[in-house]
Amino acid sequence: MNFRWIPHVRRAPWLLGIILLGGCDLPRDPEGTLARVRQGVMRVGWSANSPWVESGGEVPAGTEADLVRAFARSLDARIEWRRDGEQELLADLEKYELDLVICGLTRETPWKKKVGLTRPYTPTGKQVLAVPPGENAWLVKLEYFLDHRETAPQ
Amino acid sequence: MNQNSSPRGFPDYQSCLGRACRLEWSTLGWMTSIILVMYFTMGSSQAMKTAWIEDLLALVPPLAFLMAERFHGRPPDRRFPWGYHRAAAVAFVAAASALALLGFYLLFSALSGLLSQEHPTIGLITVWGHSVWLGWVMMAALLYSALPPVILGRKKLPLARQLHDKTLYTDAAMNQADWMTALAGILGIGGLALGWWWADSLAAALIALDVTHGGVTKLGVSIREMMDETPTPLGKTEPDPIVARLREEVEKLAWVESAEVRLRELGRRLTGDIFIVPAEENGLLEKQSAVSEMAESLDWRLMDLTVMLVREPRGERTTPDSGG
Repeated sequence: MNFRWIPHVRRAPWLLGIILLGGCDLPRDPEGTLARVRQGVMRVGWSANSPWVESGGEVPAGTEADLVRAFARSLDARIEWRRDGEQELLADLEKYELDLVICGLTRETPWKKKVGLTRPYTPTGKQVLAVPPGENAWLVKLEYFLDHRETAPQ
Repeated sequence: MNQNSSPRGFPDYQSCLGRACRLEWSTLGWMTSIILVMYFTMGSSQAMKTAWIEDLLALVPPLAFLMAERFHGRPPDRRFPWGYHRAAAVAFVAAASALALLGFYLLFSALSGLLSQEHPTIGLITVWGHSVWLGWVMMAALLYSALPPVILGRKKLPLARQLHDKTLYTDAAMNQADWMTALAGILGIGGLALGWWWADSLAAALIALDVTHGGVTKLGVSIREMMDETPTPLGKTEPDPIVARLREEVEKLAWVESAEVRLRELGRRLTGDIFIVPAEENGLLEKQSAVSEMAESLDWRLMDLTVMLVREPRGERTTPDSGG
């Protein structure tokens, strides 16, 4: 039997993927977060956790806060900060009442089944940012930004 | 019969068996590679997880076949005077029960994902220095998981028919249907890419249904064999015509007034009893032993038949009517 066509078939999904990724804006968000935030308002919850999120009065400082500011700039979005406990923030994130939560969370958090997590944003660290569950376009946009940002955080 | 030779009437038996074993070994190899690929790409997709478990379970029939093959060749001994022909059926009852249970569990978890509106989160993965959405990689892995089983299944099916092996036949049939699992998974992930959060759980539920169906089917096949069901052709439920044919052949003998036959499956082989009401009483011993000789030349599967002489026909007819 002649199965020489198999390698070509196996290559097909890659080609398809590249075409789709370049052509349309896939994956999409079930709840439309990315489309709403772009040139709009990004609702970010924060909870102090030094050195990633430093308490600086009304708005946070620290590496994660800087990352979020740069990300918002890249999307032409205005940030609406909300300070609260980690528990409350992540619970609201799960209900799509926030778009992003920073609190020095690591990838081992038990919340990983309830909310979406980025990959660790430094090659050596474990820290991640949290996004609403299943907002895949939003997550991909953020992870892509974290991968390709100019200046690496300290 | 010498256990390492081919049955009379099926000289290619040993070479068919060798080919079947090699196919089952390569199934184990291919499935292991698929299981690894799926494991590293499944992420938080319920459909991928379910498809992965189905692939894991696809290892069971080849393992059962190969392990049973070890026992199959053993001659009967003091502890197991009927031999080891049913080793595969025993392995199958255990595996099929696990399969059916796991299917129900997977179905439950997919449906509860749908009910609680779980939105699967799938992010980027780095492939050779490029950031790619893991969903595309999942689709590629699913496509890869579809091809080898279908090809292996196509190769196993004719061997299963020749050997009349139910383990191999069920395995081949399941392999051949495996592309549907991959397709369901690909559609699920594709739906997710389009922003339909429910597509993934729905695909998972469909795959779980397939696992359950496979488990229940296999359980039925092996339990019916253990219940000494009359032989049936592969994949069918009506009686095998060999039973009626054997009775007709026996009744054609001049010294036989009437005959009754009951057969059961012993792995790939058939065994059973022939009850004969003789028309005359001279030289019965010689005639009796000639009957099993004649029977075994009818079909290679027949072996170790008991020929019993009875004074009058048994009350009920247990021989199925010939397929007319």
